[in-house]
Amino acid sequence: MRRRGASKPITVFVALVIGILIGAVIGYALSPKAPAVAPSAAPSADLGKLKAENEQLKAKVEELKKKLASAGAKEITIKIWTIGPDPPSEYRLKNFQIAADMLNKWLAALGSEVRVKIDGQFFVRPVEWGEYKNKFYLAYKSGKAPDIYLTGHEDVGFLAANGYIIPLDDYIKEYWDVVYYDVIPTLWEAVKYQGKIWGVPQDTEARPIYFRKDVLKKLGWSDEEIAQLPEKVKRGEFTLKDLLEVAKQAVDKGLVERGILHRVKEGYDYFQFYLAYGGRLWDPKSGKMVFTKSAWRKTLQWFHDAVWKYKVISPTQFSGDWDKDFHGPFTQGKALFLSGGTWHKGEWVSKGLLTNEEFNQNVGYMLHPAGEPGKKPVTLSHPLIYTITKQAQERGVADVAFLLITLVTDPHLNANHAVQSSHLAILYSEISDSRYRKEPFLADVAYMLDYTTFIPNHPKWGDYSRIVFNVLRGVESGDLTPDQAFNELLNGIKGLGSDAVIIED
Amino acid sequence: MRFRRKYLAIFLLPSFALIAVFYLLPVLLTLLISFTDMDYSFQWNWVGLKNYVQMVSDPIAGKVFNNTLFYVFSTLTLFNVGAALLISLITVHIPERVGQGYRALWLLPRITPSTVYALLWLWAVRQDPTALFNWIIGFFGMEPVNWLHKYPWPIVILVNGFVGASFGMIIFTAALKSIPIDYIRAARVDGASTLQIIRHIELPLIKWPLMFVTAYQTLSLLTSYEYILLVTNGGPGYYTTEVWALYSYHLAFAQYGGIVKFGYGAALATVLVILGLILSIIYWRVFRLRELMIEPKIEV
Repeated sequence: MRRRGASKPITVFVALVIGILIGAVIGYALSPKAPAVAPSAAPSADLGKLKAENEQLKAKVEELKKKLASAGAKEITIKIWTIGPDPPSEYRLKNFQIAADMLNKWLAALGSEVRVKIDGQFFVRPVEWGEYKNKFYLAYKSGKAPDIYLTGHEDVGFLAANGYIIPLDDYIKEYWDVVYYDVIPTLWEAVKYQGKIWGVPQDTEARPIYFRKDVLKKLGWSDEEIAQLPEKVKRGEFTLKDLLEVAKQAVDKGLVERGILHRVKEGYDYFQFYLAYGGRLWDPKSGKMVFTKSAWRKTLQWFHDAVWKYKVISPTQFSGDWDKDFHGPFTQGKALFLSGGTWHKGEWVSKGLLTNEEFNQNVGYMLHPAGEPGKKPVTLSHPLIYTITKQAQERGVADVAFLLITLVTDPHLNANHAVQSSHLAILYSEISDSRYRKEPFLADVAYMLDYTTFIPNHPKWGDYSRIVFNVLRGVESGDLTPDQAFNELLNGIKGLGSDAVIIED
Repeated sequence: MRFRRKYLAIFLLPSFALIAVFYLLPVLLTLLISFTDMDYSFQWNWVGLKNYVQMVSDPIAGKVFNNTLFYVFSTLTLFNVGAALLISLITVHIPERVGQGYRALWLLPRITPSTVYALLWLWAVRQDPTALFNWIIGFFGMEPVNWLHKYPWPIVILVNGFVGASFGMIIFTAALKSIPIDYIRAARVDGASTLQIIRHIELPLIKWPLMFVTAYQTLSLLTSYEYILLVTNGGPGYYTTEVWALYSYHLAFAQYGGIVKFGYGAALATVLVILGLILSIIYWRVFRLRELMIEPKIEV
């Protein structure tokens, strides 16, 4: 009796070990291989320009080699922090490894014994932006800051004013002809603070509303009508109210479980609805943030109606889960509209939720429609930037760090990132990169940048965003009526002080 | 005498040092930061009582304060003292092995890592028909419910209460078991029912543990926010389940954009410290806890 009892756990244990081994083998076999990064051929017309750029870079490396040799350095470690939080954005770090390999080959070819080593981190969910930034500030204070720090452009003011990062104007001037002349000019505006440049743009994006073509077809829309929808939105003929109406039809007919999905956590996407009602976020003259009362009233009413009148947004959307309440229902065709970002396309494909073919066949994308006739459709961009910390300068590695940033600000390398993660190009020459051109989605959404707004570079922006998020959560859950929500919002914003926000009618 | 004092000082020094470093210093730092507008610039810009004035006019602070009172009172009465006492009384009056097993079950929530425990709850109360709660009501032909959205407070109280009950349970059980069996036997001989024994013998004899657990758990609940953070994060609506400690945490550490308010967060935390001190004094006086600490008047 005892022997039988004793043999059972052993059998279970052996089965478990075999199971784990089989799982490991299957996992290894199925794990996606890293995409090869073969340099793509440059068009012959650009060959001369490329050669000239290369020569300039070589000269810089030569200069650096001498500097390092005189300092007696053998290995220079550059500490880099980057974040997705979406996993497909891994080239934000990977490109540095590629660049460092390239740099080391050049150094070897020039007979230098100095090597550059990357000590990099790429943070993904569950680490979100707030936590990532917390880590940075605490690391900085304990003297362990990274040399290169990727962050959102809205932090430039705070980081610069408090001496966390160094201005890059001199470097950019020095390397201007190598690559920086090619950066799309509006992006420089996002990295400026008090007239100086504090970061190098890494990527940008647009935030479209995705829609399910297959559901619209079932609703009786013709292929032509579906194809025309983004244009109608562009012309302001399809408004946020129409969005509610169509979503309601789809829900009422039982074609989808949910009409409209939006992100489940705090973020900046919600401000697009306010912008669509003619709200302003930023007053360039005074440098203050703006609270447009009429636009906020209408925005809160829209969210309230969407949940409680049209019943197309779930009252529990804000307490939802990314996979079960956002990505899942939309990619499975159980939701009609999704207010997302271009990077979500990359996330769906890389996660295997949709293939490229399924995406092209069933999913369309458009701007966030105008709030009402006569207003403009909108989107929002949040360019990410590479900054160099003061601690990098103190360690004497700022030169090398900037050289690496220059190397990754390369049309081919940045296209690796843009294509895999569905972000938009930061360089003109990147748009004509062969890989970038093969991704029609990126070309299709490029026009959205004409309708975009950047979030304000204001130290109290985070407060504004938090107050809005909490109030919207109250409206959707039914805790607050639109009027109550407006009063809460106004009181909260007033609390930020008139030196931070302009309140206008 | 001097010799004795010297040794006393030497032996007490390590514990004093620990208390000073881990208890007094953080309180002092929190108090000092609460008089600044410190953020991630880590600058000590003294702003006097500005944070406290802001707190008084902060409508959210008012709501959060009421939430805190409700949360502490409900969890304390229903679980941390109420359920704990009930479990102890039941388990000491049933066969020892069954009682022990039952008590061991109640320890599971406490020994489960908090994130795992919270995740299990989130799964159990999800809207899916397959989630535990909905699966159960499904047997009665009821429609699936999003429990967290519809009943946020009951869930928050249950989540915390299931963990909190075990502390009181252990203390009360130990106290009940230390009651000399002669008293119970004598009562039985006199014809007392179980309920009468509980009412007239056991409850009066565990008066001190009852008061101690009430006082201790009030203070503990006042500063707890871990499970609320993990389960509702203060939602699902407009600060629906946001309690004071969580509000302080959110402002000081957990804003999406990474913009933080150490100063204001510290002021909120200071209020908790003061509230805790006031309550300690009230409990000390009302429950006459001093008598619990002094040496017994007779030697037993």
